[in-house]
Parts: sequence; C-alpha cells; structure tokens
Amino acid sequence: MRIRRTDRHYMPRIVLMTGGMLLAFLVLGISLWRLQVTNMSTFENRQQIQSLRRVRLPGIRGKIYDRNGLCLADNRPVYSIALFLEDVRRAGPWSRTVDGAMEVIDKVANVTGLKPEMDRAGIMKHIRLRLPLPLVLWNDIGPQSMARLAELGHDIPGVDVYTQATRIYPYSPYTSHLLGYVGRADPDTMNEEKNYSYYLPEMNGRAGLEKLFDPFLRGEAGGMLVQIDVSGYRHGELAHRTPKAGGDLKLTLDMEVQLLARKALGEHKGAVVVLDPNNGDVLAMLSAPGFDANRFVPYITSKDWKLLSEDPEKPLLNRAVAGVYPPGSIFKPLVGLAAAMVNPEALHTVYDSPSVFRIGRRVVHTTGHGEVDMREALKVSANVYFFKTALACGPDIILRQALTAGLGKKTGVEVDFEQSGLVPDEKWQQENKKGWSDGDTCNLAIGQGYLGVTPIQMAMLTATIANGGYLYRPRLVQAYREPGSDTYSPNPEDRIGKMSWSDAALATVRGGMHDVIMEPDGTGTRAAVDGLDFAGKTGTAEYGVKGEGDKQTWMIAFAPFDNPQYAIAMLIEDGNTGGTTVGPCLKILMKGLYEKMKREGRLVQRSGVGRQESGFPTIGKNKNDFSNHWKKPEVLS
Amino acid sequence: MSRSLYRFDWLMFFAIAALLVISCLFIYSADYRSGGHASGSLMGRQMVWALIGLGCYSAVAAMDYRKLSSMHWWIYLAGLISLVLVLFIGMSVYGAHRWFSFGGITVQPSEFAKLASVLTLAAWLGDPATDVERLKTFILAFVLAGVPFLLIAAETDLGSAMVLLPIVMLLLFCAGVPLRPLLTLVGAGVAALLVLIVWLRFFPDSCPFLTDYQKNRILVYLNVNQDPLGAGWNKLQSQIAVGSGGLFGKGYLKGTQNILGFLPRTVAPTDFIYSVVAEESGFAGSALLLGLYTMIVVRCMRAAVVARDTFGRLLAAGVGVLIFSHVFVNIAMTIGLMPITGLPLPLMSYGGTFMVSTMTALGLVQSVYLRRRI
Repeated sequence: MRIRRTDRHYMPRIVLMTGGMLLAFLVLGISLWRLQVTNMSTFENRQQIQSLRRVRLPGIRGKIYDRNGLCLADNRPVYSIALFLEDVRRAGPWSRTVDGAMEVIDKVANVTGLKPEMDRAGIMKHIRLRLPLPLVLWNDIGPQSMARLAELGHDIPGVDVYTQATRIYPYSPYTSHLLGYVGRADPDTMNEEKNYSYYLPEMNGRAGLEKLFDPFLRGEAGGMLVQIDVSGYRHGELAHRTPKAGGDLKLTLDMEVQLLARKALGEHKGAVVVLDPNNGDVLAMLSAPGFDANRFVPYITSKDWKLLSEDPEKPLLNRAVAGVYPPGSIFKPLVGLAAAMVNPEALHTVYDSPSVFRIGRRVVHTTGHGEVDMREALKVSANVYFFKTALACGPDIILRQALTAGLGKKTGVEVDFEQSGLVPDEKWQQENKKGWSDGDTCNLAIGQGYLGVTPIQMAMLTATIANGGYLYRPRLVQAYREPGSDTYSPNPEDRIGKMSWSDAALATVRGGMHDVIMEPDGTGTRAAVDGLDFAGKTGTAEYGVKGEGDKQTWMIAFAPFDNPQYAIAMLIEDGNTGGTTVGPCLKILMKGLYEKMKREGRLVQRSGVGRQESGFPTIGKNKNDFSNHWKKPEVLS
Repeated sequence: MSRSLYRFDWLMFFAIAALLVISCLFIYSADYRSGGHASGSLMGRQMVWALIGLGCYSAVAAMDYRKLSSMHWWIYLAGLISLVLVLFIGMSVYGAHRWFSFGGITVQPSEFAKLASVLTLAAWLGDPATDVERLKTFILAFVLAGVPFLLIAAETDLGSAMVLLPIVMLLLFCAGVPLRPLLTLVGAGVAALLVLIVWLRFFPDSCPFLTDYQKNRILVYLNVNQDPLGAGWNKLQSQIAVGSGGLFGKGYLKGTQNILGFLPRTVAPTDFIYSVVAEESGFAGSALLLGLYTMIVVRCMRAAVVARDTFGRLLAAGVGVLIFSHVFVNIAMTIGLMPITGLPLPLMSYGGTFMVSTMTALGLVQSVYLRRRI
C-alpha cells in the first residue's frame, strides 16, 4: 500500500481531536459536579416539593370530668368508610378513575345497605384538592354497617374504615353553659398552616370552659409525610407522628347536685348556683332554659343557630353569671351587716315598721310589721325597718360593703361572658351625674334601684355569710391533668380575704335568715325540709315599668345551719314572690341535698362550739353563741 | 490465536463489558415499579441484545476490516436504501417513521446508516486515489454525509442526523484536509446557530426551517421555566433527578424520580437512562460512567494512531467520534446543557438496533487495533 503524503500530519491532528473530546467530557464532569454536589440541596428540595405532602393530623382533645369522675365532655369515635383512590386508579382521563370509584361505592352500598352519599362531582373535587388523602364515602356509620362491611366487604379494593374523634357532651342540656362547645377549628396561626399541604383541623373551644381552657385541652397535632407519584396519588407514607392528647380538667361541679338543681328549677326560667361555702367550689351552676351543645359539633347549621340566637327565652344566655338582676330583699342581710359596722347597737335597735312610709315628698306603701328588731325584720322582710336602718347608717357603708363582698365586679369563676353587675358607688354616681337622695338610700336598703347582681355573686355573698365572713373566689376547676401525666395537679382554692363583720352582727343576721325558713311566720317557710336546719332569705324585685308586675324572684340559702356545706342562690325570672315561687323549688333542691348529706354521712350533729374537721367554724344557732377561732390575717373593710 | 489475544484491546473490552452490566442493572431499576416488583422483561431483552451485540463485536473484530474497503459503496448504498424504505414502509410512531418492524422486533435503520456513512467516508478518504487537499474532496465528503443526513432528518429525527456533522468534519480533519475551508465552515456553522438562537428568542412564531416540535425543544433549552409541564417537563425532571442524586446517590432501586413517575416511564430506560444512574448512584456513579466512556473514546483514538493504514485510522477515529457525539449530546441533554434530542446513550440505553450497531462499530475498532502496525 502506498503511503500517503498527508499521513505525516495525522499524529498532531489525532492528538488535538482527542484533546478536544476529553475537554468536552471534562466540561460534562464539571457540570455534573456542580449539579449533583454543589447544588444538590436545590434539586433535592425541588424533588421533595413535587413528591412530598405534609398532612396534619388533629390533636386529641382532653376530657372534662365532674368532681366524682363523671365524664362531662368526652371524645366519641366516629367511624367513616373511606376509599383510597390509588387502589382504583385507572389510566387515561380522570373520569375513568371516577368510574372506578363509583363502582366501588355501589359495591359498598350493596354490602352495607347504606345510601350512596358521594357523587361524581364530589369525587372530582376530592381528586383536585386532596388526592393523596382517603376519600370519605360515608361519615359516622353505625355498628351494623361496620359489621356488614367487615364480613362481606373484604374483597372490595381500596376501602377501609377510618376513625376520627368528635366531641360529645353526655349531660349536655344541663352542662352546656359551663362547658360551652367546640367547633371545627380554622387553621389558627398562618405559619402553621403554611407548613402543611393538607390541614386536617381539630375541634377548638368556641364557648365556656372549652374556650377558656382551649390551649390546655387541645392536644398536640400529629403529622404524616406522604409521598405522592407524578399523578398525585398516594405512593406511600414516609413518616408518621401520632397526635397527642391534651390535658384533662376535673371540675368542682357535682353532677348529682347539678341534676338536682335542674329538677328543682322545673320549667321555670332562671338560674341556680350552689357553692361550697368552705372553699368556694361551684357544686352546681345551672341556667334555664338550656341548649344541647352537641348540636354545635362539628358545626351548627345556620337554621339551628338562628333558632337559638333569636329565641326570646334566650337559651344561650348563662343567667348564672351573665344575667344581671336587682337583688331585692336578699340584699337585706348585707344591709344589716353594714349597719352594724357603723353602729353595733343597730343589731338590737327596734323600729316601727308601718305599711306607709314617707320619704321626703314620696309616700311608699308596703307591708306593715309593727315594732321589729333586725332579726325579726329579716324574718318577715320588713321594708320600712331597713329604710330606717339604711338612713341611719348612710348609703356609703352599704355600697362599700357590697363592693367588698364581691358585688359590682366579676367573681372570676372560670366561665365566660361573666357580667360584673352594678353597685352604684360614689364613682358611679359621679360618672353618671346622678344625685343621691334618701329615696335612693331606701331603694338600696331593699335591693332595688340601680343595684344589679348576678346569681353567682349572690351565691358568693351567701357563702361568705355562711362561713363567717371568708370570701372565696368561686372555683369551677378543681384540678387539671397535664398532657401525658397520670396524676391531677390541684387548682388551689382562692381565699380572697375576710369580711370585717363582727361576730354579733353575723349571729344576728344568720339568726334572722334561720328564722326566714324555720319559723312559721318566716317568708321562706315553703322551702323548709323536715329534719334539716337551714337558713335563707327570700327576695322579690320589681323591674321594668312600675306597677306592671314584672318581678324577679330570688332565694338565697345555706345548709346545714350549724355546719354549712351548701350556699345557694336561686333566681326565677317573672315569678310571683320569692317565698311562693322560689320557695317550693328550693325545697326540692334542699330535700335532695339533705338526703345526699345523710347518705354520705356528712350530717354531723352540732356538738357545741368547735372547729370541724375541715378547719371551718361551727356557727351557733343562738344569737350570741358565735365564737371566733379562725386565723385570718387579712381583714377587709 | 494466543498472539491475537495478546494484541486484543482488553482495556476497551472491559470498559464495554462494564457498561453493558451497568446498563442491564439500571434498565431493571428504570423498569422498577412501586410495590417492589419489576417485570424484569426490559432487562431480560436488553441482556439478549447485549449478547447479540457481543456476538457481532467478536465476529467483526475477528474479520479483517480491510475486506470492507472494497465493498464500502455497497454498504453505503444499502444504508441509503434502508433509509428510503423506512420512509415508506416504516412503522409510524407519533408521526415519526424511524422503525422497521419484523415480527415484533423493531429495527432503526438510521443507526446502521450512520455507521455505514462512517465506514464509507473512512474508506473513501483513506483511498490513495482520493486527493484530500482538493476542495472537490471536501465538498464530496459533505455530499456523502449529506444524503443520509437529509434522509434521517426526513424521518423527523434531526437530532440523530446532526451527529453526522461532527463525524464528517472530524474525519476530514483527521484525513488531513487543509484547515482553511474547514475553519470557514465551522465559523459559518457557529454563526448560523447564533442567528437561529437569536431569531427564536425574539421571533419564536416565525421560523422557516424548524417544525413546532423542534422549535419548542430549542425554546425550552433557551428558557428553563417555559412550560415546565409541557415540553420542559423531561428536561426539568431529568435535572432534578440528577441533581438530587448528590455525591453517592439515593441507592439502587431507590430513585424516586423514576419510581414516582416524574421521569416519564417511556424515556427512563431509553434516552434518560443516565438520569436514573445519576439519581441512584450520585456523582460517584455518573462520573464512573463518564470515565468508562472516556476510556472507550481514548482507546478508539489510540487504535487510530496505531492503525496499519489510513482506512483503519479513519475508521477507528470515526467510530470514536460517533460514540463521543452520542455520549456528549445525551449527557448534556440529561443535565440540561443542551436541548432535548432523542439521542440514546451508547451501550446504556434500552434498544436493540443501537446496541447492535454500537457493538459492531466497536468491533471494527477492535479489528483495526488487532491488525495494527506495532
């Protein structure tokens, strides 16, 4: 073969070519390094964004119990039939997958006897918005359908039973004002929502304890990391964090007392508050009419809401804390105690209490009672006696004592929408530019006029009189159990202070209240219970246009007289008089409490003067048999 | 025989064998489906093709390449005829006529035609009667390559046809043509490309030479974010697959881009097999692959240097450039450096015709190497 001339030149050219190609490969290698090593996180991130979805699982809400461990707010499992669409996916347009889903729905419907609730539009919506999540076909199915599905549905593809929790209030109409209710929560913090592709909301408290303790009751949300494929179907679950349960609350409420209060109130519109005078525990708090909080879960229909919110009977109003009423004659014990602070002799002063009384140019017509002292005046609720007493001591001390005893401000009980009521003190008079006349003083003496109180405030005052002057904040939460803990931590009782009432004054007032119930001519004898020695006071307050007969009727009471364990305020709207309207109702409650005390062995016979086990005073029945053994540094005036 | 075994280019052979093994492994992975089972059928078929390829390789290597010198026109003609035939009786897939179908087996004649063009050009330029210094030779060489180029482009496989361009240029260069016309041509080509790019950038709707499909691919290359769910999808997903692989990858059979279907299943085992390897074995694996290809290309050029004659030298260099062009364009496309073209990766991508044609080409180089001067 002839050697060509140009062959001399091939070597450098081949070397050059090879070098060029190696250089090109080097460029590829450098690009690869930059892509895979330098910028790896960018691409890894993009890869995760397109194939990972974070799903938030709602936390499990804590429960609320009464003092005896009865569950008042519980979690009920809701069983749903769900379809995992990835198991029925079909190639081609989405409508083919929808066909597959519809076939499964028909099969499940045949097996369980349920009527199909999901239509094609619903499935398409689910595909668009929540494809990696199971599609709920039937919500809250009964045990029968569950059993049928378990027995016959095992070969239906992609179908599973799916459990969620919902709130249930077993004693709802009687606890709804206290507990409130929950609703499906909106994603509350914007930050949190952003982190999730799918936010399964939990329930959050919308009213009552559910709302006040929402952060405590609310559990910790869990999460799920779902890997999806290019079509958006669920491919697998990469991580799962189980949601955690929230804390539990134990209330001071005694459901037995609460139900007794319900029974006592009957069909009346009103409120009952029962406190333990020894620590301020709220044993019962009822407002009637009530409502069924279960209708609010997971959401209330607008029709139901309209019905409730526009009902003239105002079932949503918690009259026990948010109803402000004139107290009427149940204010008189405080007037007596205040008067005794200015002049101790007032306890024994005797006034004529005729049926006609002239205040300036105004003439007041009332019931006449003749010559009475304070104890007697309380028993028969002699208005003129208290006019004279109040005019003698002046309104300031009465107003100050009312404020000190907790009227005119919120008690701080753990219930929402509490109102402060009104004590028309000097500050109020100045702000409202009202002059103060003797007529105003007389109105104040019998709990009328500007004065406004709530039933819980009156129960608190009654408890303070019952226990010898100790002021406790009404406490609804007895103890709480932190999430994950086995034991309850007590929510300590809250003793605000001690009223500086003299023993003699207390004895006289308590004696008068005792006679209201126990003496045949007392105004509250209709409430008397055979065998139970207790004290109380009736009240009838007019409101609205004078003479039209709109009356709020009251009774306060504490029992047993010498070892008070219950302090009660009971209000009935639009009654006749405290004695005739509220008396028989209070009797039902007292009878129940008496039997409860007997059953529980808490009826200790009075054994002279001495301290009870609880460290609280036994207070004598006789006017002057009132010993003070208690240690209490802070004295309020 | 023992002497020829001694002269055999074992280094290149091992690089080829390694790539074939890796190919089978990752075609299995690309075919891997959720639920943990792969049919394995793609890998099985690829193994059969690899064995057939090895057979062709051995047969061609054993044959004296110089025998082909005298019949190169016939080979060239056969290539052209197959290209013409496929336009009329070929299978139509998405409007492209690229395949013959023989009882279930599809054959892509363009791959053989490209090899035939390399062989013919090498033989013709290597012929002592051809004066490489004359402009006529220069022009004729382009005509020789131009006919199959146009026929392949007519199959709407422009990407595949384009490979002929570097081949003819580098063969001319290697054959020793004067530099001036070559450089002029390269300059003109680069200028034309720039004009095209600028044109597409500013007047994307009126481009006289390209179909919408080709235009879109170039536009996608020019602007990453354009239509990421349409024409830009494969490019974006391939980049994500490669990029998220990191230094050592996600592990064999754990490439989520492929498993979850973001890298379309139709292209993962074929044009985008390199993405699968890069995602699952990371930079380590993709660099190893690049190293193996470098080895093959370098050994081809080594064969060219030591070839007994000009035909052998140009043949080995031509095959080297053929392999290099495919590898470079495919990997550059996979990592987003070049527009998406349907060029498969030699020895790795799933496909029988290309496997056999590549193995035949490498067999020719081995044949040249076995019969070298020293």
